[in-house]
Amino acid sequence: MSSNPLALIAEITHRCPLHCVYCSNPMQLAPTASELSTGEWKDVLEQCGKLGMLHAHFTGGEPLARTDLAELVSAARAAGLYTNLITSGIGLNEPRLETLVAAGLDHIQISFQDSHDVSANWIAGAKAHAHKIELARTIGRHRIAFTVNLVVHRQNLDYLDEMIAFIEQLNPDRIEIAHTQYYGWALANRAALMPTLAQVERAVGIVAAAEKRLVGRIRIDSVVPDYYAKFPKACMGGWGRKLLLINPSGKVLPCHAAEVLPGLSFENVRENSLHWIWHESPSFRRFRGEDWMPDPCRSCERRSEDFGGCRCQAFLLAGDSMATDPACSLAPAHDLVQAVVGAADSQVSAPASAAGSFVQLQKLNQDLWIYRTSPE
Amino acid sequence: MPPPSDTSAPRLAAGCRWGGTEQDRVILYPEGAIKLQGTGRQVLECCDGTRTFGEIIQELQKEFGKTDPEKIRADISIFLEQLQRRRIVDY
Repeated sequence: MSSNPLALIAEITHRCPLHCVYCSNPMQLAPTASELSTGEWKDVLEQCGKLGMLHAHFTGGEPLARTDLAELVSAARAAGLYTNLITSGIGLNEPRLETLVAAGLDHIQISFQDSHDVSANWIAGAKAHAHKIELARTIGRHRIAFTVNLVVHRQNLDYLDEMIAFIEQLNPDRIEIAHTQYYGWALANRAALMPTLAQVERAVGIVAAAEKRLVGRIRIDSVVPDYYAKFPKACMGGWGRKLLLINPSGKVLPCHAAEVLPGLSFENVRENSLHWIWHESPSFRRFRGEDWMPDPCRSCERRSEDFGGCRCQAFLLAGDSMATDPACSLAPAHDLVQAVVGAADSQVSAPASAAGSFVQLQKLNQDLWIYRTSPE
Repeated sequence: MPPPSDTSAPRLAAGCRWGGTEQDRVILYPEGAIKLQGTGRQVLECCDGTRTFGEIIQELQKEFGKTDPEKIRADISIFLEQLQRRRIVDY
């Protein structure tokens, strides 16, 4: 029998006041009316505890858009789970933070889009930056783990050193510097977000220097740009090996993007137990282990490290969910990734921010990208 | 950050705490969990923010009387420094 999952990614809603162009939520967002109720989520969290899971990551959309968040955090703690809130911070003030901490919130992760107000709001498609700074200072007054997450891409990578210096003075325990992952909205905006090789190489040096300088004060975690890597990422630590995601409507997925895969249907916590879904359901067994693997994966030494890479990326880029992840330099379809990267090198970046407001900047770059919308 | 000084009082950092079961005790932290057994577990159980590093060392040197006391000090110091870098321990 497969071993138990370690962590739950709870996408408790797809509603979000931000419209980030790099959002990896599916383009088909879960309608508000379909969201699991408080009681249904509490039942799910209890099942997670019984499965021996350790972490619950509350995310979305914007998890703060649910007024019952503190109740869910408290239910997760009661089930023995470590609780993590992944948020834009919009909808959070000090009294609500105090309520969440009292409910047992262990860790809060806030995203920043840039260090400059105008460009940060431009990327988020909303006026959010100033509030995030205010909130970061509020968090500093509470005993809770604090991470700042920074999603990087073509439009902000040139300012990475400035962004790190800016985040440093917000005093987080951790900074996560994450290259954009190309799923959902981010994939639709890939041409505008894909960094150049020069940007990626420069960023490696900047991150290494920051790690050295901040050692013992702030821990830096990096998510590498897999289009530029030699080998694919071990997506989710392998299909159905460590993590499960429950979307706002109760669908249980092995990863954020799996719903795009053709020929697979995913179970719902409204109809089946999490135990059965994880261990027995056809969708979770589909790419578990090595039997499904194509060449060159099935004889590759790295197959137990990266598990053939990402199934969704294989489908989204190569049109075949069984293929080796095209991000792998050994993949038959690797030329598809090389073409994207090559095109990034020959494109001109968007005009630098000379605008006085993010709305003005949006007008100047109207056709550059689409903004993530909100669900019905 | 230098290694812990004798007067510092090591403790689990904000947002890091014990979890798991009595047989399988783990330290839970934002990105994951560390399973702790034997001496590692014993050391971290002493790091309650009230005992000083000096006191913890003395206690464990007494308990492991046969081992070179300086080696005990050096090992525990490195152990805590590594966890401090991962923001799991404060001192």
